[in-house]
Amino acid sequence: MYKKLLTTIIMLMALIVPATMVFGGERVADPAAGWDKHYHFFGVVGFLIFVIVFVPLLYFVFKYRRTSENHTGAYIEGNTGLEIMWTAIPVVIIVLLGVQTWALFNEYRSVPANAHEVKVEAYQYGFKMVSPEGIETDGEFTVPAGPVKLNMTSRDVIHDFAVPAFRVREDTVPGRWTYMWFNASKEGTYQVYCAELCGPGHSLMLAKLNVVSKAQYAKWVEENKMKAQTMTPVERGEKLAKQCIGCHSLDGSPAAGPTLKGLFNSDTKLADGSVVKTDVAFLKKKIKAPKNNLVDGYPPMMPPYSFTDDELNAVVEYIKSLK
Amino acid sequence: MGKPEPTGIKAWIFTTDHKKIAVLYLVTSLVFFVVGLLLAIIMRTKLLVPDREFLISNELYNVFFTIHGAAMVLFWMIPVLLGFFANYLIPLMIGAHDVAFPRVNALSYWMYVGACLIAVLGLVLPGRLDIGWTGYPPYSVTGPANTALYVFAVHLLGASSISGAVNFITTIITLRAPGMTWGRLNLTVWGIFGSFIIQLIGVPVLAAAVTLLLFDKYLGTHFYDTNGGNPLLYQHLFWFYAHPAVYVVALPVFGIVSDIVSTFARKRIFGYTSMVIAMMIITVLGFEVWVHHLYVAGTLNWSRIVFMWGTILIGVPTGIKVFNWLATLHKGSIDLKTPMLYALGFIALFTIGGITGIANGLVGFDIHVHDTHWVVAHFHYVLALSMSMLVLGGIYYWFPKMTGKMYDEKLGQLGFWLTLVGALIAFFPHFMMGVDGIPRRYAILPAEYTGMIRISSLFSYIAIAGFFITIWNYIKSARSGAPAPANPWNSLSLEWTIPSPPPFYNFEKIPVITSDPYEYGKPEGHGEEKGAVGGHAAHHH
Repeated sequence: MYKKLLTTIIMLMALIVPATMVFGGERVADPAAGWDKHYHFFGVVGFLIFVIVFVPLLYFVFKYRRTSENHTGAYIEGNTGLEIMWTAIPVVIIVLLGVQTWALFNEYRSVPANAHEVKVEAYQYGFKMVSPEGIETDGEFTVPAGPVKLNMTSRDVIHDFAVPAFRVREDTVPGRWTYMWFNASKEGTYQVYCAELCGPGHSLMLAKLNVVSKAQYAKWVEENKMKAQTMTPVERGEKLAKQCIGCHSLDGSPAAGPTLKGLFNSDTKLADGSVVKTDVAFLKKKIKAPKNNLVDGYPPMMPPYSFTDDELNAVVEYIKSLK
Repeated sequence: MGKPEPTGIKAWIFTTDHKKIAVLYLVTSLVFFVVGLLLAIIMRTKLLVPDREFLISNELYNVFFTIHGAAMVLFWMIPVLLGFFANYLIPLMIGAHDVAFPRVNALSYWMYVGACLIAVLGLVLPGRLDIGWTGYPPYSVTGPANTALYVFAVHLLGASSISGAVNFITTIITLRAPGMTWGRLNLTVWGIFGSFIIQLIGVPVLAAAVTLLLFDKYLGTHFYDTNGGNPLLYQHLFWFYAHPAVYVVALPVFGIVSDIVSTFARKRIFGYTSMVIAMMIITVLGFEVWVHHLYVAGTLNWSRIVFMWGTILIGVPTGIKVFNWLATLHKGSIDLKTPMLYALGFIALFTIGGITGIANGLVGFDIHVHDTHWVVAHFHYVLALSMSMLVLGGIYYWFPKMTGKMYDEKLGQLGFWLTLVGALIAFFPHFMMGVDGIPRRYAILPAEYTGMIRISSLFSYIAIAGFFITIWNYIKSARSGAPAPANPWNSLSLEWTIPSPPPFYNFEKIPVITSDPYEYGKPEGHGEEKGAVGGHAAHHH
């Protein structure tokens, strides 16, 4: 018994140690490519385990059927050798997979020194991104090809920035900074999802990620710097209001909250039964403290927004413009 | 013997008899199973059309998956296993008249009913619970949901679980009949024992976690907010219990599979000792895995690695169990009655869910599939479908014992095959969507997945039809089934040695146990040197 156990331990070490060196030593430049490799390796291993369980299961069920009412199976209490085998082999497989994934995980969490660093702030229901040059964009991000690092936080509840094309995601947590990086190896437009339940607008919390060449990126930076200086209040408000359209439509269609189209100076019934004119003063009050000004027929789900006075004026100007 | 058996409706309301309490648990949990299935049908139907206003709104969709998850895990799976199976089987399997504290047992049930009512309020009252069954802050604190209902439901359910744990751990330790050594316990008893240990350690932590949620929301404290608190604290506390809760369900299921496989293969369970050791390792190791729910939550990198090893190593004891079941089938005498079909179907679905669960536990792999449909597919195979099916098979197995009547075998098999085919295919497309990184809990899926989700929904309807046929079979057979013999499966387990249904105090005289429940086909004289004198307690009658 002890001899068997000792032999098993020695065999395990003999298998695990070289495997660790093979899989652990391998460095991948791009975690996304590493993920695909890891997935294929797992696919083969998983399929083999599947076959090892299913073939005997089906074979035994067909072969050892009860032949008569008094028929009984063979009397076998167990087999220590077999038990050791189906403990040791799974341990080896698990360690192999674990070491491989550990190496991959290290790649995911070690950011290259030359990464393009941007700031992301998530909110109900959208993402705001600030480029290293200070350009703010909402819902649509532009980054140059190459490694990109995101320093992320959230304004309200927990969200998650998921980019399936680059096989990566990480939560954004209010009051904390989290990070992730990916290698934007191919130019194109990629889908970004929120992947942490954040409210009724969760499935509408999407964004686009544009990966462009270094030259195009420089051009984009120039254009946006110009734009920021010449923007009208309505244009500025439109940009800020990107975070409202998860719940408020712009075309009069029903959504979680009232539509913004034609909202300005309309008569609105509040939850307490009174009717108010949605003038500038009311809109500002409502945006700052939504829970004190509940509108009849809608759930009390709008979070308060802390805009600066300038920003608030711009948003109201934009709502005014939606006739 | 003892006091006379009460009759009428009062016999149910005021009962402290473990068998009656078990039946109450069974009926109540089946109601919640049906509620969960109906919500699933509505959500599945909504997903057929990728439109935000189709059938139900986004808000209602979130409410429905919250209640679906809570109903299935907290009000169906755990109560049916630790309420129904534990109550019905433990005293019968260890040779006792009842549990150690019969009145506490009744209290546990009625607290569970209270929690059920609160959960229903959470579904219908304004401020419906749309926070997921996980209830993560800050959303559960700042959002519109009436989180108090969630907290109070968990509190009542927790009090019920803790008192149940104290009761059954005491029962198993102290009320075993003479000769019922630890090595002669049914594996079902071992599984339930492990589960209650987890409940006793884990549930108080969950209760604390949600209490702080209550304070944050209504008393303005700052445990989980950004003014000095930490939203991740809740996730740690929640999953410290809520991940082991999966093993609370799994361990009794492993035990029941072992009992069914051994009975219907009419063969000794292979590697009894290794089965028990594997269960106890899972009980302990189950507490070393919870951070895998926080792999992408911004937790420390090294903590993700540490808990990954706990997570994937749990595959080893689980694998031992699967291989022992296969070895039990080898050279057996297999009879494919409905309970056995369910046990085999369980092994099939559980294996698919288990293998994909290893992938999920791999921290590098998970960084792409976390909170995607891969996870949905994985836990529906490994937990929801496989274990629900096994529970239904377990109910069939002990149906003659409880009612003294036989279930309808044809209807039983029809229900099984519908559920198996539906279950096998329904969640497969979700794996593909998961590999594409599509997030779960989305009321609207990207349009290109409409075809996949339609196939998936269609087969989920088939599986659910099978579930309904099965439940109908129970109702029909309980009312008008053919009389069952006392031991229709020729089982050697102690509960089959007394009449069906069992008399009020179970055993006229506490039996003396001289053998274990798995000695099928044991040759004469085998093992006598160990002190066994042959013949099971059965033969006292």
